[in-house]
Amino acid sequence: MDGDRPIIRVKDLRKSFGSVEVLRGITIDVSPGSVLSIIGASGSGKSTFLRCLNYLERPTSGDIFVDGEAIGPSIAPNGQRKSGASPRDIARIRSKLGMVFQQFNLWPHMTVLGNVIEALIQVKHMRRREAVEIGQQFLAKVNLLNKKDEYPAKLSGGQQQRVAIARALAMQPKVMLFDEATSSLDPELTGEVLEVMRDLAREGMTMLVVTHEMGFARDASDRIIFLHDGKVEEDGTAAQVFSAPASERCQRFISSALS
Amino acid sequence: MIENFNRFVLANTGTLLDGLWVTAYVCFWAFLLAIVLGLIACLIRMRLPYARVVAIGYIEFCRATPILVQLLWVNYVWPEVFGFPQTVTGAGVIALALQSSGYLAETFRSGFEGLPKGQREAALAVGMSRWRIVSRIEAPQVGLVVAPLVVNQLAVVVKSSTLVSIIAIPDLMYQGLKIVNQWYEPIEVLTTIALTYFALLFAISRIANYAYVYFQTKFGIASSR
Amino acid sequence: MFVALQNVFDPALFWEYRAVLLTGLLQNIIIFAESAVLAIFLAFIVGIASLSRHGPVRWTAVAYAEFFRNTPEYVLLVWVYFVLPLIIGTALGTKANLSPHVAAVIGLGVAYSGFLSETVRAGLRSVSYGQTESALSLGMSGFTALRRIVLPQAVRRMLPEAVNQLVSLFKSTTIVSLIAVQDIMYQVSMISVAEMRPVPLYTGAALLYCIVIIVATQLFQRLTERWRRRGWA
Repeated sequence: MDGDRPIIRVKDLRKSFGSVEVLRGITIDVSPGSVLSIIGASGSGKSTFLRCLNYLERPTSGDIFVDGEAIGPSIAPNGQRKSGASPRDIARIRSKLGMVFQQFNLWPHMTVLGNVIEALIQVKHMRRREAVEIGQQFLAKVNLLNKKDEYPAKLSGGQQQRVAIARALAMQPKVMLFDEATSSLDPELTGEVLEVMRDLAREGMTMLVVTHEMGFARDASDRIIFLHDGKVEEDGTAAQVFSAPASERCQRFISSALS
Repeated sequence: MIENFNRFVLANTGTLLDGLWVTAYVCFWAFLLAIVLGLIACLIRMRLPYARVVAIGYIEFCRATPILVQLLWVNYVWPEVFGFPQTVTGAGVIALALQSSGYLAETFRSGFEGLPKGQREAALAVGMSRWRIVSRIEAPQVGLVVAPLVVNQLAVVVKSSTLVSIIAIPDLMYQGLKIVNQWYEPIEVLTTIALTYFALLFAISRIANYAYVYFQTKFGIASSR
Repeated sequence: MFVALQNVFDPALFWEYRAVLLTGLLQNIIIFAESAVLAIFLAFIVGIASLSRHGPVRWTAVAYAEFFRNTPEYVLLVWVYFVLPLIIGTALGTKANLSPHVAAVIGLGVAYSGFLSETVRAGLRSVSYGQTESALSLGMSGFTALRRIVLPQAVRRMLPEAVNQLVSLFKSTTIVSLIAVQDIMYQVSMISVAEMRPVPLYTGAALLYCIVIIVATQLFQRLTERWRRRGWA
């Protein structure tokens, strides 16, 4: 379970939007089975970082390796273009990563079950019957099997997000990426989603979680990184970061977030 | 081809410009008349309970009948039944105006109905007379909101005006087709005419766009677009 | 007074010539259908292209839409009928001829593809990008995401405006009579020349179109309302 080889390696990742540099050189290795929480103020680059991992954002320079494969292409700091993954490779690598979005992004014209099995059919080319079986399995896992024939619009926010998680899990990814998964939810609904996430963590899924939920970060993660202004300012275990952070900014962020 | 261009287009610039002038003339009056008729129909529909049905019938008729049909109908039927129009130009102007007045009536209506009631109430509270309210508070705001759609109808009028050549109004299209029928060398003439209309309509849409953006930023009024 | 009315509106006359008029109307419907198919086909290509990442593709699409939205249909029709055969002929080295019917379909189809491409574009843009992102993040290709996720949603949103455009297209089919396609207006003109009674015929034609269009519009409005209630559009 402990990594021989890190399942995600990031080397000097930089990302600029036009003239604005959002990520200023992030280097990090993630071992399989670990839960990494990413915290920081808005604009610190947390979501951008996550979205670079599955290439929804194109890095300006730097290397990203997912399960040993480079997801790219990218540009080295000296401007040289490095060959990397082709679009088909990118799609394939993406299917090894599951992402859960802040806005859920369920597809409204398909039922709950339809949402969950769509990728199984289109990407893994499964037969419908098989896909339905697997889909129902994962819906049951998030306790929403009884809603499988409903349309997303009829579900509460918490339910929709759980379906989104099931949809990502159905592809049986190696890593799950959570991009502020509870930030759009009413407070009373965050609990059900966080519970699913805690269960996943306990089962040994590798998770990268961008979150404002300090409770989850402290209790469920193996490791926390604090991003500020596109750089990793603090990196340690939950205990370390919460009780004795080296960075004063991190200290201030956590205390204001917890209050 | 250049030679042909000189022979048929440049040599006939005078006639073509005459045609363009007629087009402009017809479109201008038709557009004006359309606005007037549209406003009247809109106000009747909104304010007069008994004449409402008539207004609605008028609006639906104008919107549902193709322009060609309206053109022929006004040109051949109206003189017999109503006694006017006595000229083809008059028929052209009326038909084009009819077509657009239907859409404009609906545009004005949505403009008026979209106006927040608070505007009127605030003005009443300050003690403004009814007329003043309409002219200084309601109309300008409605005007800004509907302006893009109204200018769009000008474009529609210009496009539909190409058909008035059918009833022998000597517009740009008429002159162009006359040259083509005379010499049977359609390429240069027709292409030039197409590009002229395009330039005209493109200019109208660009001006409308700039005006819209200008008024948006100046007054910050949300528009129906 | 009744006699005077007959001068204006004479259903009997219509009935007498019903065969010829209906054949004419059929022509309108056929041309409408064919040019609608062409227009929709072109509209999707141009609409999707207008959202492309590649600059030149985008600009061509935008230019196409701008050009055909700002050129009168009649002008395009005449151009296609007279000029296109000559151009094709010179290119192929032979003398080419375009039947009025084909010219009409091409002319109208191309003219309305400009407007419809804007409708397509607006429909596609109205689908939030997150929909595509979630599909991509699961490993779907861009094309699959477009086909299975974006288009189904976009098409439902395009429908009301597209229907408006198609109603306009149907109304525009009347102008094909001007390049000698034997549609209903052509027949009406012929009959009025033969009968020397243009008044009731043109009034009748106006009323007929009016009824047809109003009925069709009402129908489509009911349909779109039903779709909207079912949560589609």
